[in-house]
Amino acid sequence: MSSQIEDFMDRTIKHALKLGASFAEVKGEDTSTLNIEAINKEIRTVSKVHSIGIGVRVFYGKSNGFSFSNVLDEENVFRATETALKIAKASTKRTLISFRLAPVKTVQEKKTTNVSKHPKEVSLEDKKELCLRESKTALGVSKSIANVTTGFGEYFGTIYYANSEGTKTSYEPLLVGLRVACVAKKGTTMVDAREGHGGSVGLDTFEEEAHTPEKMAENAANWALEKLKAKPAPAGKFDALVDPRLAGVLAHESFGHLSEGDFVVIGGSPLTGKMGQELGTKDVSILDEGLPEKGGYNLPFDDEGVPCTRVEILKKGILNRYLQSRITAKALKAEPTGNARSQDYSFEPIVRMRNTYFDAGSWKPDEALKEFKRGIYAIDTAGGQVEDTGTFLFKAIRGYWVENGEPKYPLRDVALTGNILELLKRIDVVCNDLEISTTPFGGCGKINQRAYVGTGGPHLKVRDVLFGGVS
Amino acid sequence: MDEHELLEIGNKAVKHAQELGADEAEAYVYIESQITVQFIGGIFASRGGAVKGLKGAFMRIAEPWIKKKGLPQIKSGVKAGVGIRSVVNRAMGFASVSSIEESKVLEGVEEATKIAKIRPPDPNWVSLPGVKKPTGEGGIYDKRISEIDVEKLLDLCTGCCVTMGDFDRRIVQAMIMLGTITASFAAVNTHGVEAYDRGTAFTAYFGAKAKGGGEEVSSGEVLVSRSYTEDLQPLALSASKRTIESLGKKPLAQKYSGPVVFENTSWNELFSVIFPAGISALNVQENRSPYRGKMGTQVAKEQLSMIDDGTMPEGVGTMKFDDEGVPRQRTPVIEKGMLSGILYDNYTAKRESLESTGNANRQGRASSPYANQPAIRPTNLAIQAGKGTLADLISEIKEGVLVKGSLTGALHSNVITGDFSVSADNAFKIEKGEIAHPLKPCTVAGNLYDALNSIVTIGGDSRSFGNIICPSLIIDKIVVST
Repeated sequence: MSSQIEDFMDRTIKHALKLGASFAEVKGEDTSTLNIEAINKEIRTVSKVHSIGIGVRVFYGKSNGFSFSNVLDEENVFRATETALKIAKASTKRTLISFRLAPVKTVQEKKTTNVSKHPKEVSLEDKKELCLRESKTALGVSKSIANVTTGFGEYFGTIYYANSEGTKTSYEPLLVGLRVACVAKKGTTMVDAREGHGGSVGLDTFEEEAHTPEKMAENAANWALEKLKAKPAPAGKFDALVDPRLAGVLAHESFGHLSEGDFVVIGGSPLTGKMGQELGTKDVSILDEGLPEKGGYNLPFDDEGVPCTRVEILKKGILNRYLQSRITAKALKAEPTGNARSQDYSFEPIVRMRNTYFDAGSWKPDEALKEFKRGIYAIDTAGGQVEDTGTFLFKAIRGYWVENGEPKYPLRDVALTGNILELLKRIDVVCNDLEISTTPFGGCGKINQRAYVGTGGPHLKVRDVLFGGVS
Repeated sequence: MDEHELLEIGNKAVKHAQELGADEAEAYVYIESQITVQFIGGIFASRGGAVKGLKGAFMRIAEPWIKKKGLPQIKSGVKAGVGIRSVVNRAMGFASVSSIEESKVLEGVEEATKIAKIRPPDPNWVSLPGVKKPTGEGGIYDKRISEIDVEKLLDLCTGCCVTMGDFDRRIVQAMIMLGTITASFAAVNTHGVEAYDRGTAFTAYFGAKAKGGGEEVSSGEVLVSRSYTEDLQPLALSASKRTIESLGKKPLAQKYSGPVVFENTSWNELFSVIFPAGISALNVQENRSPYRGKMGTQVAKEQLSMIDDGTMPEGVGTMKFDDEGVPRQRTPVIEKGMLSGILYDNYTAKRESLESTGNANRQGRASSPYANQPAIRPTNLAIQAGKGTLADLISEIKEGVLVKGSLTGALHSNVITGDFSVSADNAFKIEKGEIAHPLKPCTVAGNLYDALNSIVTIGGDSRSFGNIICPSLIIDKIVVST
């Protein structure tokens, strides 16, 4: 298959240039996803999707056009090329704006992924067992556990890229994940909690003590049971201790999106024109990179064939760089950063994050807790809302009321609101326990495209966070 | 790809499943080529003020363009794939491949068979469908759609955009989305089914935003058709007209309860979300429908009749076969208020020793039909039209409410009980049989199944909204509040 895709990619580029394109690039894809879901002890869904195809983007005049085909014969692939060019020609007549690409060094490189227990070497039976082991453990924790949903997900294959400048790359994406969600019920009270783990790793990750199906199921079940006794979180301003997962979602959702080049170019981001300004305390750095050391989703190249560089968006509190595609980099007179990504071969690349996280500081987490006099310890998030002004509302999955360095009792309905740009100035403790998490379930959505991302951080302490506001 | 090629892929797939030990197998082979052109923007710099060209350019959605020129978002391409169902010991396995390349399809067959082997037997499973001759001629295949050019669609878009903006100075933004799909499919199984059909579809959406007197209002129009429609100007104009007439909204003096006129567009939004679930045999069998045990009884006012007809030539849901190779057919659902039929696929029909009504459909969560397993859906479900225009219906009401246009929150209706509570952005107060003024966004609440028993009048203005064809109606006992 690989030689067939690569062969069509080469011919597509030649065909596009012959037709008059000034630049042509092709993404080839041969990937598969598997999702297994079990409700209580019954396997409900098993869905396997194999995705193969090519997407072609050409530049002509001041515009560009994109088309795709997953029928890999000359007739259809050449037709896609012609369609892309036709779109570029039609657009260029109707637009006053130029699309140009920032120059990059050409790259010729094939990256392989070698892990033990790669999902392609593990049987469907064993993957199903991971889910059922979680279900069995969680249901066995207590009679109050009313419902357990578990899931296994995987994504792997090969992504190819080639362009008319001579760049030719390929890599083998890999992402696995296991999750469990428990609903606990007592009288009329119903609460839930969840746990999960994933990464660009082999399935032996679920043999590590902290991530066995049994351990994760016990955690989720116990946290749900604990929430049955939880008090509603008080409303008002309190100091907050934020765990690595919630910190990661803050870094990605409320800050990361604001640093995306396309959002900056149009002046839509509140970070526009703030380069070099002090936005946070000097302990705060926020990064985005493709190959982080501390877990996450591994991505060596983006979908413009640009190596994924390590971008220090916020460096010691100062706005340092934006995330760029070749198009936005040209417009903003910056270097491309390897942030142009497309969901699959049938979408054109746009500026996306990869692994976005708060960098580690020097505090030990137990010391940070000891110094935490009075406030709320907020853990993980079940979602929320963000606006493009940096304003956010996040619901934490769990929380504790803390006094004099000790968690006193569990809380439910923990919701944080605020604006990230104000919050960054009130981070006064940054711990050293950086963790980056990722999941094959869902991902980040932008303009109808989804992308796998990693998010993370260490424990952070933030002064005066507004809690409450959830009906 | 022609009929022969699609059938050949299907036959190879099911043969391979049998070699792997499957008791039965089915392959659904699908190919489509599509173009969508989306055009969004504030239209006229000379009116709107600031020129924010870059914004439109880089987002390629949202926000403005510059004076009758713009940057369209265009997506075009070819997608093909195969969905395989393999049955081993009464357990079904499903897998899909987004490719029709033989080795990949055979791998998909292996996956589906593997999945079947790890699942427990389904006590309700009987078998995949057998061979049956189609009753209809199939639907429309319009060459003007399959051969259309991107340039042509762009010109249509630009033209409509100008029309929408020229209608009224207060129109500040217009959005147009045009789409064409040309698709063909084959459903092949181990019982000898070799079903094939093809079709075309053309969709258009127009959205407008207007500002005036400190208010911002929006509305739109939609078209779904099997054949190409070049004259889109009336719809573009209507979208602007609907938007402008919503300016000057006032609140309702008090909560209203009584007869409400539902324009066909609004009624479709409620009806298409809730009612198909009620007449799905799966929901009836599993006690998730109020129609369980109601066959042959009065479930609606006598003037109501409706039929699901998968054979009507111009129907959006018309095909010779459904998505598991069973011929599409006509199924009377309600006759003079009596429940006369519900919709079946092969699985639910065999469970009751009945014949499928040809309502298996693969639209679903995944955007490509081959990546979804079939579920029960209406083909062309038509409420029989009565008499009178929308204006005639309004004239019947002394004091009441007209609900027009699109509704927000219809998707959150309770599809089991039929309860709905939606927000109407384009509602109007009716006084003395005439429209008095637009209403501030109001909540419209009721129950769809009760509503069928509270029909006052059925209009004559039937319109197609894809799989639903319905006129405007007057329904009593609806609660409206602003």
